[in-house]
Amino acid sequence: MAEESFLADDFIRQLMSVGEVDLLVGIPSYNNASTIAQTLHSVEESLRQNFVRERAVILNVDGGSGDETRQVFEQSSERREAGHKGLTSLRTIHRISCMYDRSPSQGVALRSIVAAADLLRARACAVISPATTNLTPAWIANLLRPVYREGLDFVAPLYVRSRFQGLLARDLLYPMSRAVFGQRIRELYSDEWGFSGRLASQCLEQDVWREEAVRTRPEAWMAVLAGSAGLKCGQYFLGPKTVSPSATGPDIVDAIRQTVGSFFWCMESNQPYWMGRSNSPAISTFGPEHELSADGIPPSQEKMFDLFRSGVNELEPILASILTPDTHAQIKAIALSDRAKFRFAAELWVKTLYEFAASYHHAVLNRDHLVQALVPLYRGRVYSFLLENANSSPETMEAQSEILCQEFERQKPYLLERWTGKN
Amino acid sequence: MLSQDENLWYKDAVIYQLHVRTFCDSNADGIGDFRGLTSKLDYLQELGINAIWLLPFYPSPLRDDGYDIADYTSVHPSYGTLQDFKDFLAAAHNRRIRVITEMVVNHTSDQHPWFQESRSSRENPKRDWYVWSDTDNRYQGVRIIFVDTEMSNWAWDPISKSYYWHRFFNHQPDLNYDNPAVREAMWEVMKFWLDIGVDGFRLDAVPYLIERDGTSCENLPETHEIIRDFRKRIDLAYPGKMLLAEANQWPADVRAYFGNGDEFHMAFHFPLMPRMFMAVKLEDRKPIIEILEQTPQIPENCQWCIFLRNHDELTLEMVTDIERDYMYDEYAVDKAMRINLGIRRRLAPMLENDRRRVELLTGLLLSMPGTPIIYYGDEIGMGDNIYLGDRNGVRTPMQWNGGWNAGFSTADPERLYSPLISNPVYGYQAINVDSQRRSAHSLLSWTKSVIQTRNAFRVFSRGSIEFLNPSNHRVLAYVRRLGEEKVLIVNNLSSSAQAVELNLQMYKRHIPIEMFGRNLFPRIGDLPYLLTLGPYQFYWFRLRRI
Repeated sequence: MAEESFLADDFIRQLMSVGEVDLLVGIPSYNNASTIAQTLHSVEESLRQNFVRERAVILNVDGGSGDETRQVFEQSSERREAGHKGLTSLRTIHRISCMYDRSPSQGVALRSIVAAADLLRARACAVISPATTNLTPAWIANLLRPVYREGLDFVAPLYVRSRFQGLLARDLLYPMSRAVFGQRIRELYSDEWGFSGRLASQCLEQDVWREEAVRTRPEAWMAVLAGSAGLKCGQYFLGPKTVSPSATGPDIVDAIRQTVGSFFWCMESNQPYWMGRSNSPAISTFGPEHELSADGIPPSQEKMFDLFRSGVNELEPILASILTPDTHAQIKAIALSDRAKFRFAAELWVKTLYEFAASYHHAVLNRDHLVQALVPLYRGRVYSFLLENANSSPETMEAQSEILCQEFERQKPYLLERWTGKN
Repeated sequence: MLSQDENLWYKDAVIYQLHVRTFCDSNADGIGDFRGLTSKLDYLQELGINAIWLLPFYPSPLRDDGYDIADYTSVHPSYGTLQDFKDFLAAAHNRRIRVITEMVVNHTSDQHPWFQESRSSRENPKRDWYVWSDTDNRYQGVRIIFVDTEMSNWAWDPISKSYYWHRFFNHQPDLNYDNPAVREAMWEVMKFWLDIGVDGFRLDAVPYLIERDGTSCENLPETHEIIRDFRKRIDLAYPGKMLLAEANQWPADVRAYFGNGDEFHMAFHFPLMPRMFMAVKLEDRKPIIEILEQTPQIPENCQWCIFLRNHDELTLEMVTDIERDYMYDEYAVDKAMRINLGIRRRLAPMLENDRRRVELLTGLLLSMPGTPIIYYGDEIGMGDNIYLGDRNGVRTPMQWNGGWNAGFSTADPERLYSPLISNPVYGYQAINVDSQRRSAHSLLSWTKSVIQTRNAFRVFSRGSIEFLNPSNHRVLAYVRRLGEEKVLIVNNLSSSAQAVELNLQMYKRHIPIEMFGRNLFPRIGDLPYLLTLGPYQFYWFRLRRI
């Protein structure tokens, strides 16, 4: 039996009224009533300033907010420009919304957005988070413009990071994705990104929307899909980012489950694509050079080493089933070392991650449990990183990041060996 | 004596704008004249229009197509005699067609005897009939209207060795309305023509009558005093005569020219026109809705005058910079199509000769609130010649048939005041009245039919308007209402088929009757009323509760 349409009749009716568009901006929301009006105004302002003649629609996909987010979106009045006798933009900036009744999910929201993009034949799209409080009209334009004008298919954001921000991305996700998928996308996981209508149509055709990895963090899947389809990816420097205090991100366990879990799933589902790739060419990067800022306070290191050490002990049987004996032994050895002289070397870190990825592939145990077993090891790696870099300059840290990336690339044959070999 | 209601004839008018020079030449001199025009009145009656607006026909050096008048109380010899005009007027009135003439009140030609006297010496009694200055520093900052040709609003007069003020071309000195003698002289001019029987005046360049330091010299209170004075005199001595303001301003600024119903009877709605073109190009009703939302209410005895094209460039003064750039890019890609702040093109070429868009825009013109003006030749889809200089490209001879000189004149073609349009698409062999008269499906036949429909229902000329706001922005829908008479207009502004759901709950149980075919449509019920429209299609429905 064919799957029933996931688009509600009312939503179809709204799409019908909008008709073909050039640009689509999707705003997934869940309990964002306090910020969505500002987000909406920023998007409208961006369209007015940067895409005067283009046909555009702003789409809110709400996950069943209890705080009337959707009503605020629908009823928020269009801001009028000063002067011009009260006249506003050249065109109607369409505003439509829909709601899904499952639990809040970026993936479910994205499915509606790409479906709308496909049906409305949008050429360029962006997803914008209403939790970002310093969103500016320029951000939205910067995500849309490379797609609309330069013909890119996926545009990731680049944010200003302090030295100690975004460690999961810098120490794991970016270097590993660069080595595995050959994509030098710094922020593979983000709340804002741009994509083409062509990519939206390809995404819509995939039968993956029920996968947990896609439901939770669809953006990385989208980027990998773009790469695997031979579409062009790029990134745009957006500047610093702040989020609403009410929008607390996931804790480290959930963050790793979502991102690393999604990453491993992407590896699993795109094997033919990445296994043959041996390099990572530079991608189009727009805006100023990506730089770390010198400020930033290191996260609390208290308990970090203890949690690493206890994790290695408590999860010994699980780690034994995931890691090779040699790697496991090295980890157990460093767990016994003096906390002040502790080092989790890049070489061991890369080897560990590749063995986790291979074990995920071979499904040596429940995949969610497997990913969670990485958490204490990640803590150990971060602790080591902080010890090494407490006083490092941004330039030094950037150089170290590059060395780590090269280590991931150097060991890729080992990944292939583990991946294709029998566990 | 006209009844109170008949005095409001201008509200029910469909005005046809023409220049006597362009219409028909009776004496084979290559220039249209009043006798020729009179011979074509049957055509205009057949078309269904009930008022003619004549461009200036007075003696003039013709350096601005007659807007540089050298004698206000006579007829330019090229167009005939005063008696020819009187004969034309009587013939028009016999056909129940009213005649509106141009009254260029702001300025004269520099060849006008008034100016010749004024410049002759500083002591001449008519010296103060114009605005003179020893320096060109007065009224600094006042905008220049003809930016393509004029560097200053002051011009040096070598005879009296001083500067004179001109808001338009430098050969058109502005009259000094601070001088009561000028007002009286202009009233005498108006009386002259009203006594002959003209039905109204289009007063040219009204906002610029008065100058004051430190102001924009536009729309000043003293200007309104002058208008009120003229209006009062007309109402007393010539009831039923009409004054139409040419004030190319934002509606809120033009509103003042209606006063409390004691200034102009009508005024052009300039900003609406470019926005109708814009809406069709953008496939979005927003430009139209937005400008009409900005349009203030006007007194009961007043009316807006609306148009698509006229003898001037399609003015883009009353649009934003973004809108102007858009209009240029979409409708005047070739720089030769642009002049001043506007586009010198006719309706059909602007719309790429797309019959559907011509009909859609004409349908909008005839169904929106206001008195519509049809520019001569647009009813048959005449083309233009952008290479003729100034705005002459939209002032070429009327194309009556495919024969000698398009039936306009029997003179040698070289002698015509302007070359005919002769290209294969818009040339007179392809586009002319005679050939379109033969076809029931020609643009001319369609235009007759739509004017006839409009004329049959007063709701179009006097009714209120209520915009429906269907979620489909490509569709512009509104209800015109006058008492129990209700008309629903639905326009698809886009080049593709559209579906639209209209909230017509106020008209529940009414039956929509399509006004051209008189076919019944399903009765309006509880659900939103679903209509589908083809590209650029529109419907006019009478809503009847039977």
